[in-house]
Amino acid sequence: MKRLVKTIAFLALTAAAAIGLASCGGGDDKSSGGGGGGKEGGILNVTYGSFPDFMDPALSYTVEGWTAMAEVYLPLLTYEHANGNEGSEVIPGLAKDLPEISNGGKTYTLFLRPGLKYSDGTPVKASDFPFSVERMIELNSPGSSFYMTIEGAEKFAETKQGSIPGIEADDKTGEIVINLETPRGTFTNELALLFVAVLPQSTPIEDVSAKPAPATGPYMITKSQPGKGWEYARNPYWEKANGKAMPELPGGVIDGAKVTVIRNEQTQVDGVERGTYEWMQNPPPSSRYAEVKEKYDGSQFRVEPTISTYFFWMNTKQPPFDDVEVRQAVNHAVDPRALERIYAGQLTGSQQVLPEGMPGHEDLELYPYDVDKAKQMIEEADPSDMDITVWSDSESPNNEAGEYFTEVLRELGFDAKLKLLTADNYTAVIGNESTPNLDAGWSNWYQDYPHPNDFFQPLLAGESIQPTNNYNFSQFDQPAINKKIIELGEEQLGPEEEAGYQELDKEVMELAPWAPFGSRTVSTFVSDEIDLDSVIFNLTMGQYLSSFEFK
Amino acid sequence: MEKQRPDAERGPGALALRRFWHNRLAVAFLGLFVLIVVFVLAAPLWAEHVAESGPNEEHTVDVIVVDGEKRDVVTPEGKPIGPQWFGAGGKFFLGADGRLGRDEMVRLMYGGRTSLLIGITAALIATALAVILGLLAGYYRGWVDAVIARTLDTIWALPVFLIGLSLGIAFAVGGFELGPVQLEGGSLMIPIGIISIFTVPYIARPIRGEVLALSEKEFVEAAVAQGAGPLRVMFSEILPNLASTVIVFSTLMIASAMLFEAGLSFLGAGVQPPNSSWGTMITVGVELLRIQPLLAIIPGLMITLTVLALNVVGDGLRDALDPRGKAKLDAALELETQAAAGDRAQVL
Repeated sequence: MKRLVKTIAFLALTAAAAIGLASCGGGDDKSSGGGGGGKEGGILNVTYGSFPDFMDPALSYTVEGWTAMAEVYLPLLTYEHANGNEGSEVIPGLAKDLPEISNGGKTYTLFLRPGLKYSDGTPVKASDFPFSVERMIELNSPGSSFYMTIEGAEKFAETKQGSIPGIEADDKTGEIVINLETPRGTFTNELALLFVAVLPQSTPIEDVSAKPAPATGPYMITKSQPGKGWEYARNPYWEKANGKAMPELPGGVIDGAKVTVIRNEQTQVDGVERGTYEWMQNPPPSSRYAEVKEKYDGSQFRVEPTISTYFFWMNTKQPPFDDVEVRQAVNHAVDPRALERIYAGQLTGSQQVLPEGMPGHEDLELYPYDVDKAKQMIEEADPSDMDITVWSDSESPNNEAGEYFTEVLRELGFDAKLKLLTADNYTAVIGNESTPNLDAGWSNWYQDYPHPNDFFQPLLAGESIQPTNNYNFSQFDQPAINKKIIELGEEQLGPEEEAGYQELDKEVMELAPWAPFGSRTVSTFVSDEIDLDSVIFNLTMGQYLSSFEFK
Repeated sequence: MEKQRPDAERGPGALALRRFWHNRLAVAFLGLFVLIVVFVLAAPLWAEHVAESGPNEEHTVDVIVVDGEKRDVVTPEGKPIGPQWFGAGGKFFLGADGRLGRDEMVRLMYGGRTSLLIGITAALIATALAVILGLLAGYYRGWVDAVIARTLDTIWALPVFLIGLSLGIAFAVGGFELGPVQLEGGSLMIPIGIISIFTVPYIARPIRGEVLALSEKEFVEAAVAQGAGPLRVMFSEILPNLASTVIVFSTLMIASAMLFEAGLSFLGAGVQPPNSSWGTMITVGVELLRIQPLLAIIPGLMITLTVLALNVVGDGLRDALDPRGKAKLDAALELETQAAAGDRAQVL
């Protein structure tokens, strides 16, 4: 069965590539690939519920940001443009091939494809790659920690001077050699992250959200107004150069897109129903979810799986959550069944770090719901500080999850107060150590790549704690856990490593830096003008812009 | 049987009461307002003895028995239970407030307490400030008047709601700290403070106008001639004559302050969750308007009835306290406008 699926997938891929190649040489044809027989061209009107955290590939670390930039900024490697698990396969992006791994897993060698250009006409050079990595680290990007095993990267991060000796680039041959200090089993996946998307060396060492950098993908961002929206147009050098150099990647059917940020999800749904917008990136609000699903499932609406964990974090560095017993008590008091209803059936409850579908996941039941036990544990722990500020974003139903958690803490005897922030700056505020009262709050995590390390290293390793753009919200820094995360991360993923991650999941949850409560599904909701079947939802990047077609 | 006394023998208070009592509409709405106050004050009793639930108590996964049949308070698809009236012994009388499964009736009663508390406190603070500023400006005139009147004009000219909204959001997150005054993000004093400051000009300007008129009256001149100092003249001679205006305006300001609070809370800048006010309840209700419209309609109706009642009672009080009050108030406003125009002409 598996073999048959593979054969069909291969034939489909070959056919798609053939169509792509044919259209590349198609003279007046604007498309360079992709497409499922829909209308050529057109401007897609899109609505997002919030502006991405950053419109800078080196800085963005949200689903919104990655979906917005996936086909604008290409890394050396990228992901297969496919739905489901097939889309988790890493394929060459700006690099000719997948890396050649040598020196015991410590040296990665790649070659840049020749003839590539940025959307402003500047040629793409191999030396742009080390520049992009250095820029990302200089900006204290939350993605920096993925690349700290590159030789000299840590020193560069400290001094922000000179260059990273572990990356060698030859502009003449296009060769890029990356030397790691220790083997890193996830590095191939990490080379496909937007953090290391290649940017021209003229890009300022600052957040360029308001003035986006030139693109290498099929689309470029022509206008960006943080908080309000942004616009895409075709990259003129895709058809002339990049599309020909990267025939595996679709060039898209639509001519561009205009994205409007609308914070009222009801208005977004109404807009899509009326055809004012052809796609809403975020799911419909919980209050409309059942109605939209019932009316449009299969024609304009599709449920998309995600590899995600929704959780409440607790700051392990400050009272009362510096006491493991208090954190365990909170886990006993959080009821995933309640949160399933708060998320209106779009969440499957679980109380562990690794979500279902991620290698290494094994169901854990460490904290059966028991409020009485939780209260007793709090009484025994007798925490010195009972004042807690709970943080959450203001988007429904995350705000309600925040309210739920606040009430849970109140029930346990804490004086809990809720602070709601807009989703646009939520992660930036709670990821900044200078923000006062970062006691506990709501958060979620969607996989960066299909490797369990991704749920531990950026979120729960001590080395990931940063003064700004921090994602280790719990400030969790346990030497034994750190060591295990590093050891497992050095190996290529196999059955032994998967078992190791199972054990790690259990060990972390016994220390309870989080109170996880489930994994969420998302959705694709389009107007009746769009061919739903052509839309590709990638588990890592979300919906690909190039896959949208007007009927 | 007591003999009815002629009007001439009655005191001004008794006369005002009699005139108010004869205004049937005002009395009816006063009755309505009293009912609303009793309704919200009874919140703890209803919560404890009927609903058996606090205002923020969540019942997301609870099951209740309605007419012998078990029903989810919130369905697995996240739909809250609708009004049960007395089908569940008074529990969820108006249904659940949303996916958190809180008792809507209990929240309505407690939310009303919050809304009234904010409205009354903000109106009292605004009135007190306005009286002081109006007295100072109208009595001293000159530069004191110029500074106060222009400050009030500036506040009057500001897009009050937008500024209130911005401040509300900023303080809701970061709290407020100014010298010894420290308020936490969720404190009710934040919306109260914002509403008070921005509504001061609405009372201070007419009071200033009336003080301008009163300060030229013979009784004031007589008091000054007898050696009374400015404070005594302002607070012993002029202030009692402002009583009817102050009472009427403060009643109307409660209504305005409640509307202001509802607007701020609706937009997330007033009362902070999980606490309820009628404004926050409308926000939650709007989201579920299609499936449970009563969740937005009922708190909206409560705001409408309260504001309407206060406005009608305010009008009734004005007519009762001073039958010529409206004409007098109009004259004061006219005088105030003329004085402001005169100041501007002088500057030019």
